[in-house]
Amino acid sequence: MTKNEILAKMSEAIVAGDRAAAATLAGEAVRSGLDLLEVIEQGYVPGIQKVGELWEQGEYFLPELITSAEAMKEAMAVLKPELNRRNIGTRMSGRVVIGTVEGDIHDIGKNLVASMLQAGGFEVFDLGADVKLERFIEKAEAVGAGMICLSALLTTTMTNQGRLIGLLRDKGLRDKYKVLVGGAPASHKWAEEIGADGFAENAVAAVKLAKSLAGRP
Amino acid sequence: MTRPLLDLVKTRTVLLDGAMGTELMARGLAQGVAPELWNVERPEIVKDIHAAYFAAGADVVSTNSFGGTPLKLSAHGLGGRAYELNFTAARLAREAAPAGRYVAGSMGPTGKFLKPQGEFSEEDFGAAYAEQARALSDGGADVLLVETQYDLREAVAAIRGARRVSPLPVFVTMTFNAFPRGYFTLMGDSAAKSAAELDKEGAVAVGANCTLASDQMAGCVRALQAATALPLIAQANAGQPVVGPDGRIGYSQALEDYVRFVPEIVRAGARFVGGCCGTNPSFIRAMARVIQEERS
Repeated sequence: MTKNEILAKMSEAIVAGDRAAAATLAGEAVRSGLDLLEVIEQGYVPGIQKVGELWEQGEYFLPELITSAEAMKEAMAVLKPELNRRNIGTRMSGRVVIGTVEGDIHDIGKNLVASMLQAGGFEVFDLGADVKLERFIEKAEAVGAGMICLSALLTTTMTNQGRLIGLLRDKGLRDKYKVLVGGAPASHKWAEEIGADGFAENAVAAVKLAKSLAGRP
Repeated sequence: MTRPLLDLVKTRTVLLDGAMGTELMARGLAQGVAPELWNVERPEIVKDIHAAYFAAGADVVSTNSFGGTPLKLSAHGLGGRAYELNFTAARLAREAAPAGRYVAGSMGPTGKFLKPQGEFSEEDFGAAYAEQARALSDGGADVLLVETQYDLREAVAAIRGARRVSPLPVFVTMTFNAFPRGYFTLMGDSAAKSAAELDKEGAVAVGANCTLASDQMAGCVRALQAATALPLIAQANAGQPVVGPDGRIGYSQALEDYVRFVPEIVRAGARFVGGCCGTNPSFIRAMARVIQEERS
């Protein structure tokens, strides 16, 4: 197989959500001494991007998105130790703290965004659901995150997204973090209203937004 | 004796109720508190809301048990009280119901995923819905309403669980997004596939609720109708949540705009109509008027 064929197969494995193939191809890449950054950026990443496109077109739904994100994770788990061993920075997109705001136990959308961000190269710290607002800030400070992502499913809890931004201001930390909001009742207008850095309609859009805010292609 | 709801719907359009959670919040339910807890802690308020919907003209109200599967309640540490909270939910609605009106036992999604996306099996879900169905039946519900389902497999597990323990008819609504290719659940099941499968599993009425605004609902009803002869249910949202000038959160469709599309929904084939997020007893009162006019 030529290198281009291998890269194409990697992309296909992600699009098909084939975890075994994604991991096997990653193992072969490590053994044959391929440029692992090229493998990630021209093999796996185009795959997950294609998955995003299929989702946006209404061809893929949640199950496909999850299995593809899982396949991406498997491949990265094989590549990561070797990248570390070779002392190659993965040019990770950054660290993200994510959770569903306090008073709200809904976590399906948030979990999906967390998975897709991870598949998109972010290091994700998922605090779960019904998370006290102070905890988002404590965690972000502790891990050196650049971004805080807040989910809310209810019109009655989305106000906590605005409260977190107020808390950051009170602590003099507002400029230190990009704050992204999402969830069924949120909108671009809402993000603007509360002074968030952005809103994403779905998990695929969230990755795009996070990458653009992190200054990544 | 009241005639069965399924007989009534053969003769005319049946009116369901609107939102419950926001009505509870308006009366002081705090963020993060399970609404079902108020069935035992503030029963008079829950009954008042049911009474308001009946007074507005609803033929059927749904019980305050949307999040009442033991799986969902356990997120609030209330998993062990599922029977009590659901039984009481049904009893309160029954007590509020005038003669000749009906109580639908609301059963919303567990909020969990089946394998492989999640940890749970169909048997786990079936058992959770069975426990809820048993309590709602014992408490006096006339029908069970499995609602707002985003996964067809979960909806099927709910029907099977309910039928194991209860003789009550099972209604099912799923929540669909509108795509250029049609109406699909979060998991990718089309409206037609969902309707056909739920029909086959023994649901006696199927339909769509939540997500879609009233101007989008008729199209979804037509998609459902292509796949089943069962009576159809439609409960649209009042548009999308929006932030008002006073910073309060409301919904994008005002009452008049919402109700304007009700005749089209009925003509598309919906036999049970009601509201969902963003609606209240005023919406139901206006819908009652529209349905009355349609009839005459």
